[in-house]
Amino acid sequence: MHAALNNIRVAFGPLVAVDDVSIAIAAGEVHAVVGENGAGKSTLMNVLFGLIKPEAGTIEVEGVARNWASPQDAIRAGLGMVHQHFMLQEEMTVLENIVLCGEPVNRFGFVDFNRARQKLADGFREHGIVIDLDATVGGLAVGQRQVVEILKMLYRDARLLILDEPTAVLTPQEKDRLFGILRSFAASGKSIVIITHKLDEVLEIADRVSVMRGGRLVSSGPLGETSKDRIAREIIGGDLPPPLKPAARTPGEVVLSVRGLRAGTRGWVGPLSFDVHAGEIVGIAGVSGNGQAELIRALAGLAPGVAGEIMLNGQPVDRLDVGGRRRTGMSYIPEDRQRAGLALGATVAENANAGRDDVSTFSRGPFLDRAAMASFARGLIERYRIKVAGPSALASTMSGGNKQKLVVGRELARGTPLVIAENPTWGVDIGAIELIHAELLRMRDQGHAVLLVSTELDEILRLSDRVLVMYSGTLSEPIEAADADRNRIGALMTSRTDAALRSVA
Amino acid sequence: MFDLLFDASFLASVPRFVTPILLAALGGAICERAGVFNIGLEGMMLGGAFFAVVGAYFSGSPYVGALAALLAGMALGAIFAEFHLRRGGDAIVVSIAINLLAAGMTTFLLRAIFDVAGAFRDPAIAGFARVHIPVLEDIPVLGPVFSGQSPLFYLSLALVYALHVFFLRHRLGLRIRAAGENPTALKAGGVNPLWVQAIALLMCGALCGLAGAQLSISNVNLFVENMSAGRGWIAVVAVLLTRGRPWPLFFIALLFGAVDSLSFRVQGLGLPQQFTDMMPYLATLIVLTALSWWRLKRQS
Repeated sequence: MHAALNNIRVAFGPLVAVDDVSIAIAAGEVHAVVGENGAGKSTLMNVLFGLIKPEAGTIEVEGVARNWASPQDAIRAGLGMVHQHFMLQEEMTVLENIVLCGEPVNRFGFVDFNRARQKLADGFREHGIVIDLDATVGGLAVGQRQVVEILKMLYRDARLLILDEPTAVLTPQEKDRLFGILRSFAASGKSIVIITHKLDEVLEIADRVSVMRGGRLVSSGPLGETSKDRIAREIIGGDLPPPLKPAARTPGEVVLSVRGLRAGTRGWVGPLSFDVHAGEIVGIAGVSGNGQAELIRALAGLAPGVAGEIMLNGQPVDRLDVGGRRRTGMSYIPEDRQRAGLALGATVAENANAGRDDVSTFSRGPFLDRAAMASFARGLIERYRIKVAGPSALASTMSGGNKQKLVVGRELARGTPLVIAENPTWGVDIGAIELIHAELLRMRDQGHAVLLVSTELDEILRLSDRVLVMYSGTLSEPIEAADADRNRIGALMTSRTDAALRSVA
Repeated sequence: MFDLLFDASFLASVPRFVTPILLAALGGAICERAGVFNIGLEGMMLGGAFFAVVGAYFSGSPYVGALAALLAGMALGAIFAEFHLRRGGDAIVVSIAINLLAAGMTTFLLRAIFDVAGAFRDPAIAGFARVHIPVLEDIPVLGPVFSGQSPLFYLSLALVYALHVFFLRHRLGLRIRAAGENPTALKAGGVNPLWVQAIALLMCGALCGLAGAQLSISNVNLFVENMSAGRGWIAVVAVLLTRGRPWPLFFIALLFGAVDSLSFRVQGLGLPQQFTDMMPYLATLIVLTALSWWRLKRQS
């Protein structure tokens, strides 16, 4: 099925997510849309599927201009979307999941499962799909669930399939099977759009590649007319961020030492081993979802690791809970300021003192010292130029950037030997980014150890003394700042082939 | 003593006690599967019991009574849907409101319509005649159990199987299960889960209403304030224990009904009524404990 997006523009408030983008998808082609997180590729596809209404631009399907009121319209027109998070009923069988919402029924509303089976059997033969229709979905492996999602599309005769990061959770074998099915779909005239950041997969399956960066379309053309290097450069962009790093570092003692750490479900992340010294910023780069969240949760004590050991200041902290680790000398700037970083229903002063209410400066006996708390909060507000009515205003009244500045201020004020910063500038404005970056560098220069985990490569390159790249739950060898080249890191972020490793070595 | 307890007349009385619990629990099962936490079964049942008497008294037909009970239950279900699904009220709060509303409303209407307090008993209340099944009724032991019961008993048995098939093979049953398990996915497929849940609440109300009719115009032909007496809560327990699966639900309802019936029998043995009244709840506790112990054991 032929579809086209013309001059699409989407803005969320002041942030322009998609800026004047036009792409065309031809019948029977596999079209890869690639780009970094936040490049706008998912937003663009959500426009095509009717989940987001564009501010400007038109959608065209088989030569007819379309205006979707909801995804229902898109589904009726023959579009199908497999979301990154599967939309399945775990307790139902494969067949029940497939027919749900499009049930073939008799006069009394009873479902004619045999009719559905017959229809599916034809599709199975044509595309070489093997699955037990009577198995319960909850008992299926992830790859099989993916197949169920695709069968839902097939059953509803979708002629254009959009898959959002379809291989993110698949094993290599499952991925091969999926690609086999997709190729067969394309051969039968269906169009496939794959949103991905894995270049190897683009080279493997795509007929056409569109690269997005910062909401704009960088390039769009047949795979044969481009190359892996060129796509990688287009994804990352040529411009380096302005250098901010001052004085050469003099790394001190080891503050954080991680050995053989395994984390996540059944320890899929790891084994990870690395050190962070006093007076250095170690950056962990990588596309989100490659195990960074699991690593941080294991370090902070939110979800203890499965195996391995963590030493903080020469003390093992594996058996300590979050509070114990924080007291041993750890601060943590979480990615999710709305839930993990702040209590939105509490005041600014209460949030500024959160986790420190056992410190005698903020308490008088068993009672909180409200005056001391307020003056401490006022100090943070001034120093970080937080725009808020005052210490007694609710945290929810601040904008995103100001919330983040409060979290950063609170955590850095503790002055612990180790600071863990997880995407510390995610979704904040440029002014706040500059301030937060300067603060992290100040901590480093004062001899604190900083572990920076970020999906923003620019941020990693700008701040880090050493860079580790995370991919599929493993870490690369450390790369010194002087050798940190965005092409090399980009290659390590998107694949771990021999070629990519060699280019770093 | 066992001879005295477990004789043919005891067995014949069990269906009378099983029916209201089973009907209400089947209604509750529909809500449970649809993802609506409905603990307002007691109130829906009480409302049904009252309006069954109203219908049967003024029309002279128990079937009109049953229909009135069914509609009353559905009305309470509709109120539940309005406040929980559309206005976003908490399911527990709305359930409690339904229970209190039913208790207060029936007491008030008893005075307003029949001008009595406490209980309304009148020969004009047309109760269900017992259904006598030829041949079967002559078989010893089984005859008195399965023959000579209220039509609602046979209906409730049929509904166990019907509901089983409904969940498994009917479009609405499938969607009710989807609404309970992953409403987001149902929505993504183009079906509004709130509508599905509203329909589930109406079906639940209808069945609870019939359960009430069993209490007031099948067992005895009268209405007493708060005559549901906790049976709706026992139905809630049955639903939660079986996670709304019709067949296990049937057996649990059978057990609770039998104990309910037994508690009346043992009063004849001179046990204090305070103790016998406790028996259904004691049985509930024992079953709850046994089941959780069994689940723990199976997990390890």
